[in-house]
Amino acid sequence: MAQSAFNKVNLFIAFQYLITRRKQSILATVGVILGVSIFIVMISFMTGVNGFLDDAVFNGSPDIIISKKSVKSATKGVFGLTIPALEEVDDIDKLLSQNDNVQSFSHQLVSPAILISDAQQLPVSINGIFPDEETAMVDLDHRLIHGSGFKGLQKKNSVLMGISLAERLQVTAGDELKMILPNGKNQQLIVAGIFSFGITTIDNIRTYVHIETLQQLLGEKPLITNIHIKLKDREDVSVKTPLEQSTNAINVEDWKDSNKTIVIGNKVRNVLTWTISFALLLVAGFGIYNILNSTVIQKRKDIAVLKTMGYRSKDIVFVFLVQSFIIGFTGSLFGAFFGYLISYGISRTPLETTDFLIASTYPVTFNPLFYFLGSSFGILTSLFAGYFPSQKASRVDPVTIIRGI
Amino acid sequence: MILEASDINKYFLEPEKQQVLNGVSLNAEVGDLISIYGESGSGKSTLLYILSTLDTKFQGTLNILDQPIKNLTPDELANFRNKYIGFVYQFHFLLHEFNVLQNIMLPALKLGIKNAEEIKEDAYVLLKEMGMQDFAKRRSYKLSGGQQQRVAIARSLINDPALIIADEPTGNLDQKNTMIIFDLLKEITATKNKTVVMATHNLSIQKKSHRVIEIIDGSVRL
Repeated sequence: MAQSAFNKVNLFIAFQYLITRRKQSILATVGVILGVSIFIVMISFMTGVNGFLDDAVFNGSPDIIISKKSVKSATKGVFGLTIPALEEVDDIDKLLSQNDNVQSFSHQLVSPAILISDAQQLPVSINGIFPDEETAMVDLDHRLIHGSGFKGLQKKNSVLMGISLAERLQVTAGDELKMILPNGKNQQLIVAGIFSFGITTIDNIRTYVHIETLQQLLGEKPLITNIHIKLKDREDVSVKTPLEQSTNAINVEDWKDSNKTIVIGNKVRNVLTWTISFALLLVAGFGIYNILNSTVIQKRKDIAVLKTMGYRSKDIVFVFLVQSFIIGFTGSLFGAFFGYLISYGISRTPLETTDFLIASTYPVTFNPLFYFLGSSFGILTSLFAGYFPSQKASRVDPVTIIRGI
Repeated sequence: MILEASDINKYFLEPEKQQVLNGVSLNAEVGDLISIYGESGSGKSTLLYILSTLDTKFQGTLNILDQPIKNLTPDELANFRNKYIGFVYQFHFLLHEFNVLQNIMLPALKLGIKNAEEIKEDAYVLLKEMGMQDFAKRRSYKLSGGQQQRVAIARSLINDPALIIADEPTGNLDQKNTMIIFDLLKEITATKNKTVVMATHNLSIQKKSHRVIEIIDGSVRL
């Protein structure tokens, strides 16, 4: 029976070459370490950034928003503004209740308003909500900075607002301010809580009050302007179709429509990250290829001698493939370790925030899949890089080499 | 019969077709020490490569230990060489990544009949016979030419092969080392019943061989 090339003798020869050619072996291994660690760091960091944006933008916002298409029912205000109220809310609710992909939905009354504090008066958009419904939609508790979340709105004269708006109004939890609506009616409110979604454009404008507070002031009940929907599978927005078919009077906008720039940005970042990361591993692979290739050229005489001794072509292939595997495996192991260390360091590095993003440190995702992918690709690249030199080695004709000496 | 070569013809196809061996026939019995000589380019090295089964692209018949060589696949041929043929070349061809002992052990490790400890013991015995026991742990490139050639002979014997093929084994040595190496090879034929087929230019070696074969333009003159 033919002897397998995977045997102790061939392993011994491969190890001996690796050990005695220490400098080249270490150099090739360092190449893989760099490739794998940078791959892991880049993927972890870019995924962290994307996750942070997703969390801030998409999780802080509904997946689908239903609003009025054209103004039919409106409450005229003193400024001549109108409130576009949704009709057939019950029909829409029924349709949403029957859809399996709808996780939850909530009703809102959104109105322009002016908030007046002791220091400032600012135009805002007020979201009147049912606290229980909204709790199922938005995880506000882990975004709270001061005060209480939606449960704080059980008191009808309470308001929740984003951190940037609170800073501009110079108010904090417990402070009072006045809200003036388009119909001229006003209401004294107490700041029940201040939250941060991490994105200034949201934290600068978003305010919540109890929907009944707004409905009473606007004079119509029940007045609903928006229905917000959270989906189980965000990618599946097929519920839009029956909604749009049910009436011509509504706009149905999904998260992709609302955040086209961010969605495209995420895609571009993902493509760039994966492309650059894999390219780095390929570069490391070329390093291994060069080193093993030069070994084959330098060791043609040895290969010829081994063949005269009875070592078969597949033994020679194995000897060189084992070397590339050991380089790839060792490099991947250390690469994953250093990748984790660097990623951890980045995740603990304070981030100077801009006007757009609010975060205390750089966002980094720690996902075992990245380490598995980086290590696997590191080993595969190394094996691939070792394959061609090993094939070249196996084709060495001992007679030609011996004659050439 | 250890070796039976009959009507061997060999052509080089590049740069143009040229016949380098013309109907060469050769037999060798157990214990034979055969010297092959001839001018450079006469075809003696080509004949040795064929006899050692490294070159199988020839016309004619070659049987070693009654085994028709042409019937063997490349892997079978490799195993056959490993088991039955030892090699000694002009340039010893020791592997620098391995020490002297490991170099000798490599063919036996490949054969895989004995375990590493037994092979190591065999290698020590051979080194002692070659007077090289003090150099076992030394890297091969730190030895003199004559010492390296003695290690190469020990390596060729580790699997106890029936046939030793030597291509100008003393071609790179001074007269003193030449005679040491030749005496070793001759002793092998006498004490170990090995058959040695050797290419050489050295006249004193030719005279001491059991049989001398001259190759002229690819043909044998007995």
